[in-house]
Amino acid sequence: MLTLILYNVTNGLMLGAFYVLMALGLSLILNLSNVINFAHGNFLALGAYMALELTKVVGFWGAFLIAPLLTALFGVAVELLMRFVYRRDPVYSLLLTFGLAFVMQGLMLWWWGPTPQEMHMVPALEAPVSADLFFITWYRVFMVAIVIVTVIGVFAFLRYTRVGLRIRAGTLDLDTVSALGVNVKLLRTFNFTMGCLLAGLSGVLATGAIGINPNMGDDLLMPSFIAIIIGGVGSLTGTLFGGLLIGVTAALTAAVYPAASEVVIFVMLVLVLLIRPRGLMGEEGMLT
Amino acid sequence: MSKTPSSRIPRRTILRAGVAAGALQITSPFILTALGETPVKIGMVNPLTGVLSALAQSEVDGAKYAEAEINKKGGILGRPVELLVEDSANDVGTGVQKTRKLIDRDQVDVILGDVNSGIAAAMGQVTNEKKVFHIVPGGHTDTITGTDCHWNVFRVCNDTTMDTSAITPELVKRFGKKWFFITPDYAYGHSLQDGFIKALKKLGGTYDGDYLPINNQDFSATLIKAKGYKPDVLLNNMGGLTQINCMKQIVQFGLQKDMALGGALFEFETVKALQPEAQAGWWVMEWWWDQPKVPEVGKFVADYRAATKKTPSARDWFGYVSMHTVRVAAEKAKSLDGPKLSLTMEDMELPPDVALQAGKVRYRAGDHELMPSVFIGQMHPPKAGPDDVYTIEAAVPGDDAAGPVADTGCKMVHPA
Repeated sequence: MLTLILYNVTNGLMLGAFYVLMALGLSLILNLSNVINFAHGNFLALGAYMALELTKVVGFWGAFLIAPLLTALFGVAVELLMRFVYRRDPVYSLLLTFGLAFVMQGLMLWWWGPTPQEMHMVPALEAPVSADLFFITWYRVFMVAIVIVTVIGVFAFLRYTRVGLRIRAGTLDLDTVSALGVNVKLLRTFNFTMGCLLAGLSGVLATGAIGINPNMGDDLLMPSFIAIIIGGVGSLTGTLFGGLLIGVTAALTAAVYPAASEVVIFVMLVLVLLIRPRGLMGEEGMLT
Repeated sequence: MSKTPSSRIPRRTILRAGVAAGALQITSPFILTALGETPVKIGMVNPLTGVLSALAQSEVDGAKYAEAEINKKGGILGRPVELLVEDSANDVGTGVQKTRKLIDRDQVDVILGDVNSGIAAAMGQVTNEKKVFHIVPGGHTDTITGTDCHWNVFRVCNDTTMDTSAITPELVKRFGKKWFFITPDYAYGHSLQDGFIKALKKLGGTYDGDYLPINNQDFSATLIKAKGYKPDVLLNNMGGLTQINCMKQIVQFGLQKDMALGGALFEFETVKALQPEAQAGWWVMEWWWDQPKVPEVGKFVADYRAATKKTPSARDWFGYVSMHTVRVAAEKAKSLDGPKLSLTMEDMELPPDVALQAGKVRYRAGDHELMPSVFIGQMHPPKAGPDDVYTIEAAVPGDDAAGPVADTGCKMVHPA
């Protein structure tokens, strides 16, 4: 029994790592621009399809590096559109990203079709680590390593660079940051692009686990939102813990009562909202 | 900078455009009538988005191909056929709403759909209430033609009992009777697993398994359990994209080395989306494009490939058969009236160029289930060509697989 629990906790941490990567991108955009990006899952799918096409030309490793950058570039174009709604009621940005999600999904469906596709991986990555740890493939190890490196990179960037400090300051009070002479437009563009870069990276990593299809981001979007709310809106550290927590909880539930593995994270959401509405690490008043 | 007046669209223009667009909705049917014969409208509701979208699209492709074919040969009762397709988004509420829209606003004569059994059953309630003839091309749950059967609802695909009772003896004979199920937690999954358990128990088998959420993405926890249970056969009952992910993880974890893989359906669309290493196991096909002994199939496949640039799957065939069923039944009944069509179709045989397989294929009177052969065979990496991924090992007659009507629980009541 203990072995089974340990297996599932490990599995949950790996699953959670993926939610973390996705939620981090969402959280960055939400914190600075106050935009709930409903199209984030579609950016993930776009990243995956870019990787699929690029693999044919530059191989897996080339695609792994270039696809997130191309997704980020598309994010720049979308952010220019978002500028029209920043100063309006948040409902406008919500509706815009909601509509964008449908448009992106429709375009991907039209271009690549509904049939799921497989990306050619490096064969060594698909093998299990050992006979006992058969459920941990080298691809999963690679995925977790990339998430760790990315999370450290994002946190270091936000803490030690001038732009990162401005983003953090803007999260608390964007008007004051603007009054101090910071180009807020550019800051928002950069931040949105960074969020899309993380979505693109999530997409490339997801290809090895769930394949590629136009709807692939849909089922990952909600757990990512929940990770943000559980962790606390406005707190990236909270997002990190939120993602890992729902990953482990879902995996442990799957071991005991699998049919509830999806619903359990919604139950967690309800409990957190009832007991501690600001989330585990969020600040008072961020979720109003 | 403010816009110049000339660059703005005047409010009155927008209002006029709105009124014109509204008027068009009301007047368009009269314009169509004036131009020619009113078309026979067939409404199809299918999940074009969501995890079942690839299967749904194939059914739409098959139906559209049949629409063109029927129109080329003079339509139905001398009237052109028009197929209207709506997306149910794999959601029961949306599916029901689209069905009502097709019936009330578009005034369709016949309804087709849905791939999702839960939606198909809910649509059946609506079409029955509205007395509209309804064909379910590809929703497999037993109850649709079982306990919840309706006089107006017919089904093309097999029910889960047919698929499970056809393949269970083969899997037991070849691999053993200790099984582990991975099953989606919705109507189709429960119906499928119940069918398997019933057939397995008859042969003295034992089992364990997990019900998982319909959109489940990670199967590790269940696969850890499956490995511990040491079954003879691991049955992947998931559907669409989730079945692919499940299969992929089974192979990544190397479970196929310790146990045989199998299940009821592994559809052509899904097989083709798998990497070659994961193309394995014993499965049911409800129709297969490669039947060398049936000349009609060869011609159909060649024509279909030429027109659509793809090899037809069972789902394409479901859509194709559904449309032609309406044609054959309407011509026989000389009417599109729901009750008349229904009575005509009972025990109606499909012509060979529609049935596209050996033997007679009919809609059984007692439960309105089509009785085609159930193909059993092995999935494998491509052999002679990219579509040669399955080899038929046996064909079980539909009547044998389905069992007697009395066992379905269907009590058919026709309108007075």
